Amino acid sequence: MSVNGPSVPRPQPAPAPAAGTSAVEAAAGKKEHGGAASSQLRRAVVVGGNRIPFARTGGAYTKSSNQDMLTAALDGLIARFGLQDERIGEVAAGAVLKHSRDFNLTREAVLGSALSAETPAYDLQQACATGLETVLGLANKIKLGQIDSAIAGGVDSASDAPIAVSEGLREVLLDLNRAKTVSRKLQVLSRLRPKDLAPDAPNTGEPRTGLSMGEHQALTTAQWKITREAQDELAFNSHRHLAAAYDAGFFDDLLTPYRGLSRDSNLRADTSLEKLATLKPVFGKNLGAAATMTAGNSTPLTDGASTVLLASEEWADAHDLPKLATIVDGEAAAVDFVHGKDGLLMAPAFAVPRLLARHNLTLADFDFFEVHEAFAGTVLSTLAAWEDEEFGRTRLGLDGAFGSIDRTKLNVNGSSLAAGHPFAATGGRIVASLAKMLHAQGQVNGRPARGLVSICAAGGQGVVAILEAL
Amino acid sequence: MSGSQTVILGEMPSLSKLYVNAAAAAARRRVLGTHGGTELPAYTHEVRGVKADVANLTAYQHLIGESASDVLPAGFIHALAFPLAMSVMNRDDFPLPLLGMIHLSNKVVQSAPVLFTQALDIRAQVENLRGHRAGTQLDVVAEVRAAGREEVRWRGVSTYLAKGVFLPGIDKPSVPVTPPPPFSVPDPTALWQLGVDTGRAYAAVSGDFNPIHLSVLTAKALGMRRSLAHGMYLASRALADVGAVRGDSFRWDVAFEAPVFLPARVALDISTVQADGGAWQRSGYVAWNPLSGRRHFSGSVAALP
Repeated sequence: MSVNGPSVPRPQPAPAPAAGTSAVEAAAGKKEHGGAASSQLRRAVVVGGNRIPFARTGGAYTKSSNQDMLTAALDGLIARFGLQDERIGEVAAGAVLKHSRDFNLTREAVLGSALSAETPAYDLQQACATGLETVLGLANKIKLGQIDSAIAGGVDSASDAPIAVSEGLREVLLDLNRAKTVSRKLQVLSRLRPKDLAPDAPNTGEPRTGLSMGEHQALTTAQWKITREAQDELAFNSHRHLAAAYDAGFFDDLLTPYRGLSRDSNLRADTSLEKLATLKPVFGKNLGAAATMTAGNSTPLTDGASTVLLASEEWADAHDLPKLATIVDGEAAAVDFVHGKDGLLMAPAFAVPRLLARHNLTLADFDFFEVHEAFAGTVLSTLAAWEDEEFGRTRLGLDGAFGSIDRTKLNVNGSSLAAGHPFAATGGRIVASLAKMLHAQGQVNGRPARGLVSICAAGGQGVVAILEAL
Repeated sequence: MSGSQTVILGEMPSLSKLYVNAAAAAARRRVLGTHGGTELPAYTHEVRGVKADVANLTAYQHLIGESASDVLPAGFIHALAFPLAMSVMNRDDFPLPLLGMIHLSNKVVQSAPVLFTQALDIRAQVENLRGHRAGTQLDVVAEVRAAGREEVRWRGVSTYLAKGVFLPGIDKPSVPVTPPPPFSVPDPTALWQLGVDTGRAYAAVSGDFNPIHLSVLTAKALGMRRSLAHGMYLASRALADVGAVRGDSFRWDVAFEAPVFLPARVALDISTVQADGGAWQRSGYVAWNPLSGRRHFSGSVAALP
């Protein structure tokens, strides 16, 4: 996908671009052959990122709003890359738990930041894939030449969550507003019942099944026969790797302290497999002996925000800023989880094979795997599905199993089990960290180091992406 | 802050006690008369190692309209230093009655950002006792440094008027004040709706429970027809409205005119001056009553030279 001929031949070139795209071709510096339409596009690069440490809900960020946290992450990014008064092409971010007053959350954060007030912004919402989708959407605009620079991001607060009034009270209030006469108003008010005064708090339940995300995953975990030990080991490694990354200074240029935190407050550097083994299951308890999911191998509710600076190569060069990695491509998938055909969080198991096929790649062609740890069981179920012959044949349409990954390349600097998972902020955390790792790795076997991002999301969705080192 | 003796207080004085003391002093003066002093106390009060309360900071930022960053808003630092400034004016050798003093103007120089995690040394003193056509005025100067450091990060000068108090030996300004040009109302850039609880809300985050701001009854007890908005609340909101363009260091001035009686609608105009290259130089602001056209306050936020 990169201009200078990447690694990957395209199996099915798209039709050659029509006349009139010569400007794009010229910009891409590649006129000699038509090739795939995307080969005419310029590259979108990751310049860097900034996030605030993630805090367990009810902790250091309890009183901070989504707008506060997004602005804090944004201001850290602005300071790091000297973007004061800069008019950025576009800023996109979002939150999953969102107050109705925050309809323009990202634009308001931009207005409260040191960016030029002439920077446009929009909100995006795709559950836990929000952050990664902002990266992909903005990267596409950069590739198309619509914008030269962009900031992608996401934020979530489970502490400062919106509370809605009950449906009964809401209807009464709306009718009351429409009622013209006193008698009509009284008539409307008389419909109010004490139970209507109970507020309606958000939860992680799926609207169509009534099951929480954890209960859904418990079904999937049991289906793929993922053991308690394997889940605890993944959680243990997440904490161990994240703690080591902090100790090595990996986050020094990826993170700005906020509200007294300089590390993710969920991180337990001193946890052990023995400690994790003592925790009682919290999900899937009706499954009896098969209940394996604990608070230790599930991600807790978290508050936090992240941002990623994206740019064209020309813009990065003109501003004398680093170019860490390119956003090669992305893919979204969704599964029919409602009646149990697939697990709620299994969409990436389909998205990744499709994306890799488009690029003629296999799992062996990657140096880093960033698989979001909603639950340890999610990661392990996805890997198990890829290693399963029957799943590969019947569900993915392959000759056999999709493949397996080298576990030493998985979430090498920790992931959501240790860092926490403020829903929309996770994509930005992963993309910024991965871009930095890829850049440090540089070339592998004569090709740029390559990383895969996989994020599952509520509603049976998933978004995945490929990044390559620069 | 030279030429005066420093009194180091063990902790930030309690504002509520200071207000009670001030009320007692006012009663004593009514009975015994003033103590006759015509000089300001040559004492600097200092508290070391002051830290902001983060929950209070967040509540302040949300009320004023600042994003809840880790940097203390300049108006928050004023509120943080205010009890110490009050303690100097509450000294027995302070020649003016503290209660009922009118805040005429305020000038702040924020030289460097102050983070909520930093321990601060705060000093306050009074100076520049001088006449005013309506009484006697003085400056209360507060300085904030990072604990143990010499560099001043924040310096505020608050000018107060003791209305109707004329001290022997202190003349009214000899130069007749030329009346300011009549205020021509500009087009507003913002309109604030201030509820009747505005004073109480600011008192809760600033700690300044001056009765004239709390309720109609407490305000009437002190001779006001209704409660009124804190001047520093209004000026701090204007500062927040200027926004992040001001950066981390700036000069922030405000001059107060007609008080804002609550509830109120306040019209505001902010006009920005840019340098030739487009860099922000200064934002002037003026606020007025949209019904009467009376000016409530005006001032500016400007880049430091």
